[in-house]
Amino acid sequence: MVFSSLAFLFFFLPAFLILYYVFPGRAKNFVLLAFSLIFYAWGEPIYILLMLLSSFVDYVDGLLQEKFQSSVTKKRLSLSLALIINFSLLGYFKYADFSVSIWNSLTGLDVKLPGVALPVGISFYTFQTVSYSIDVYKGRIKAEHNYLDYLTYVSMFPQLIAGPIVRFVSVQKELHKREINERNFVSGIKRFILGLLRKVLIANQIGALWDTIRVDDDISVVTAWLGLLCFTLQLYYDFSAYSDMAIGLGKMLGFHFPENFMYPLSAVSITDFWRRWHISLSTWFRDYVYIPLGGNRVGKLKHLRNIFVVWFLTGLWHGASWNFVLWGLYHGVLLTLEKYIWGKGLKKLPELLQHVYTVIIVVFGFGIFTFDDLGEMGHYFIKLVGIPHNPLYSSEFLWYSGNYMIVLVIAIILAFPVYPRLLEKLSGKKTLTVSIAKATFAVVIIALFILAVSSLVRDTYNPFLYFRF
Amino acid sequence: MTKRDFEEKNSDAYKNEKVTWQDRVLSYIICAIMLCFIICFFCFEKRDFSVNENRPLSKFPVLKFENVKSGQFTEGLEKYAADHFPFRDTLMALMAETQRISGRKEINGVYLANDGSLIEKYDEPRNTGKQIEQFSKLAENVENADVMLMLVPTAIEVCSDKLPANVPQNQKDAQQQVIGRIYDAVPEKLQTIDALATLKNAYEKTVKGTGDILSAIPQKANEESFSGTDGNQGLFYRTDHHWTVYGAYAGYKAYCSAKGIAEVPIDEYDLKIVSDSFKGTIFSKLNDNYFGNDIITSVNHPAWKLKVEYSDTGEVTDTIYNEEYLKEKDQYSYFLNNIHPMVTITNDAVESGALALVKDSYANSMVPYLLAHYHKIFIFDTRYYKGGPSKFINEHDDITDVLILYNMNTIDNDTGIGGIY
Repeated sequence: MVFSSLAFLFFFLPAFLILYYVFPGRAKNFVLLAFSLIFYAWGEPIYILLMLLSSFVDYVDGLLQEKFQSSVTKKRLSLSLALIINFSLLGYFKYADFSVSIWNSLTGLDVKLPGVALPVGISFYTFQTVSYSIDVYKGRIKAEHNYLDYLTYVSMFPQLIAGPIVRFVSVQKELHKREINERNFVSGIKRFILGLLRKVLIANQIGALWDTIRVDDDISVVTAWLGLLCFTLQLYYDFSAYSDMAIGLGKMLGFHFPENFMYPLSAVSITDFWRRWHISLSTWFRDYVYIPLGGNRVGKLKHLRNIFVVWFLTGLWHGASWNFVLWGLYHGVLLTLEKYIWGKGLKKLPELLQHVYTVIIVVFGFGIFTFDDLGEMGHYFIKLVGIPHNPLYSSEFLWYSGNYMIVLVIAIILAFPVYPRLLEKLSGKKTLTVSIAKATFAVVIIALFILAVSSLVRDTYNPFLYFRF
Repeated sequence: MTKRDFEEKNSDAYKNEKVTWQDRVLSYIICAIMLCFIICFFCFEKRDFSVNENRPLSKFPVLKFENVKSGQFTEGLEKYAADHFPFRDTLMALMAETQRISGRKEINGVYLANDGSLIEKYDEPRNTGKQIEQFSKLAENVENADVMLMLVPTAIEVCSDKLPANVPQNQKDAQQQVIGRIYDAVPEKLQTIDALATLKNAYEKTVKGTGDILSAIPQKANEESFSGTDGNQGLFYRTDHHWTVYGAYAGYKAYCSAKGIAEVPIDEYDLKIVSDSFKGTIFSKLNDNYFGNDIITSVNHPAWKLKVEYSDTGEVTDTIYNEEYLKEKDQYSYFLNNIHPMVTITNDAVESGALALVKDSYANSMVPYLLAHYHKIFIFDTRYYKGGPSKFINEHDDITDVLILYNMNTIDNDTGIGGIY
C-alpha cells in the first residue's frame, strides 16, 4: 500500500489511528504490528514471510551475541552468519537476474534468468536489520529480547517501504515507552499532509510531464534538459514526500524518525548535496562501510578505494542495473574531484555559480539514474546536445513548460528552504502579523488537501518509484 | 561547520517549530474533512453505472484466496474506493477547473481548443497491424461486391489549427500518417477513401463561412436556449469525440466521389435541432460545466419510406432515431438507437442496391445520407456480431457494396476489429 492512495488515507489510516489510541500502553505495539503486516501484505502477501525470516535472523543473532559476550570468536561467527543470511536474501531476491545476465554476457552462455520478483522495501528493511546486528556487536545497543517488539521495529509501516532507514538505536527507547500527546499528533498530521501535497500535487504532476517528454522524439535541446529537470524534481518531491509522510506518521504514533532530506537541490556542491539527499542512506554507508574500511584516515590510494567501494554499493543499492552503478560511481568521482582538486576553488565562486554547478551535475546524474536501458540512455543523451539534428530550441518547449508553468515554478521555489526562512523572519514580527500569516497558510493547506483528494480520485497517474530499491 | 553541526542545525528546523492554534485548527479541520468523506462513503448509495462518465463503475472485489495472493483483491479495493468516492463528479470538476485556471491547455488527455471546444489527444497506436490484417481478410473473403475502406481522421487532425498554440507537430499529423500506413498495406481489391481531404476542405470552408455545409445549418428557433454554445456547429462536436451530421456529410461526399456517384445536396434534407444539452464523452473526462453543451441535429428526407429492423431485439420501427436517448446523458445514441449487432434498414423510396456497412459509431450519423442510394443497408457492429460479415455478404447476392468505416480516435481500442473478416 502507498500513503498517497485513497484506501490508505480514508480507510487504513483512520481505522489504525482509532485502534492505536484506544488500546492501552504496551498493546499499542500489537496494533502497530498487526496493521504494519496488513500494510505490507497489501501488495506483497507472500513476501511477508521473507520479512519475518529476515528479522527473525537478526533477532536471534542479537540474543546469541548477548549470550556469547565473553567470546569474540563466537560473537563474530554469529554476526557473520546473520550478515550472510541477510545479504544472501537481498542478493537473491534483488540481484539474481542481474548477476545471471552479467554471467551470460561474460561467458557467452545462455543461462535462463531466474525471473525473481523484487519484494518491495527489501533494501530498506535489510539495511535496518543489518545495522541492528552490527550495532549489537559493536556494543552500541543492547539486544532486544522481545521478538514482537523487534518485529514491530522492522515492519513499522510508516518507514517500511520507502525509508527513512531508521536505525534501532534511534527508536529503541520509544519502542518500549513513548510519549503520545496531542502536540505530537498535531505536528505529525501537519507534516504528513504537507508530504501528501508534495507527492500528489507536485511530484505526480511533474512526473506526468517527464513521462511525455521522455518518449517524444522530436524535442529540442532545451526541452531535453527540461525533461531531466522534471525527473529530478519528481524524484526529489516524491522521495522526500514519502519521508515527510513517514516522519509525520511517526510523530502521530510517538516516534521520532531522523530527517532524510534537507533541501538537497539547494546544495552548493556535490559534497553538500550528499549531506542533504537521502541522509539515512548516506550515513548508513558512511558508518557501516566507509569508516570500517578506514575512511579517509588511510593512504591516498586506500582512500580512493574506499570511495570507490562506497559509491559502487550506493549505486547498486538503488537497483540491479548498470545505470545505477554508473550513477553511484559518477557521484563518487565528482566527490573525489571536489575533495582533491576543485573543492576549494569552488567555494570562492559566487554562490549563484555554485548552485548552477551543482544543479547541472545533479540533473545530468539523474539522467543516468532514470534510464535502465543503456541504449535508451544514449538515445536521450544525444538529444541533450542536439546531435544529429535536434534544434537548440523549438516551440514545443513553450508547450511543455507553459502547460506546467505554475507547478514547475512552485516546485523550484519550494526546493529551497523558503518555509524555514519565512518562519525565522516572522519570529521577530508582531504577533498579529504572524497570526494572520499562519492562518492564511492553514487555509491554503486545507484547500490544497481537497485538491489533492480530487487528484487521487480522478487521476490514474500515481506511481511508486522505489519498487527497484 | 562540521558535519554533525550541520545535521543538528537542520533537524532542529522542524523540531523547534512550535505548535500554534492555527496548526491545531488546520489539523482538526483536515480530520473533520476526512471523517465527512468516510461517513458519506459508507452512507451514500452505491451506483453500478456512472451516467456522467458513461461507464460501469467497479464492483466490490471478490474475497478469495487466489485474489488476495495475487494482489487483485487489494487492487480491486483501490478502484472501488476511487469509483465510489463521495462527490466524485464534483471533485473531478474541481481538479479540471483548477488546472484550467493554472494555465493548462491539456488536461487529462484533452486539449482545450482555441474556440472553447474539447479535442481528444491521439495516442500512439499499437494495433495497426491487426487492423490491416482484419480489413484485408474481409476484402478477400467477399466474393460478389466492391469493398471500400474509409478511415475518418478526427478533430485533432482536421481542425488542428484550433489546437492551443505550440502543440507539438507530431501530435497534429499522427493520424494522417497512420491512415497512410494502413492504406498502403491493404490489398488492391480494397478501395481506400480519402476522407481527410474532404473533411479538411469542408472545415476550411466552414471556418471561412462560405461552405455549402454551413449554409445548411438550420436557424436557431430561440437564441436564448442555446446559451451553452455559440451556435456555431462544426464538423465535430465540441464536447464529444464523434463527428456531427455536418462532418458526416463531408464523409459522405468523400464516399460518393470515390464511388463515382452524385451526392444529394444537403439543402434537400430536413435538418432539425433536436437537442442543445448534449455533453459528450470528452466532456466526461473533465466533467467541468465550464465547457458547455453541444447541439444535436437530426437529418431527414421527405421521400424516405423506412423500415428499420434490429436483429437482436426483433424490434421493427420506421425511424433511424431513438428520441428516448435525448433525455439521457448519452445523447449520441439517438443515432441508430445505440448498439446492436446487426441492423437492417429498408428504404422503399429507392428501388435497388444494397450496402453492407462494417463500422463503429461514426457511421451512425452518416447512414442517413447513404439511404438515398440503397434499397437496403445492412449494418454490422462486429463487437457483437459473431461469425464475420463476409459470410452474410456472400449469401446475399443483392449486396453490391461493402463499406468499412472507422474513426481514428477509437479504432485502436475497438474490440470489434477481430470480428471483421
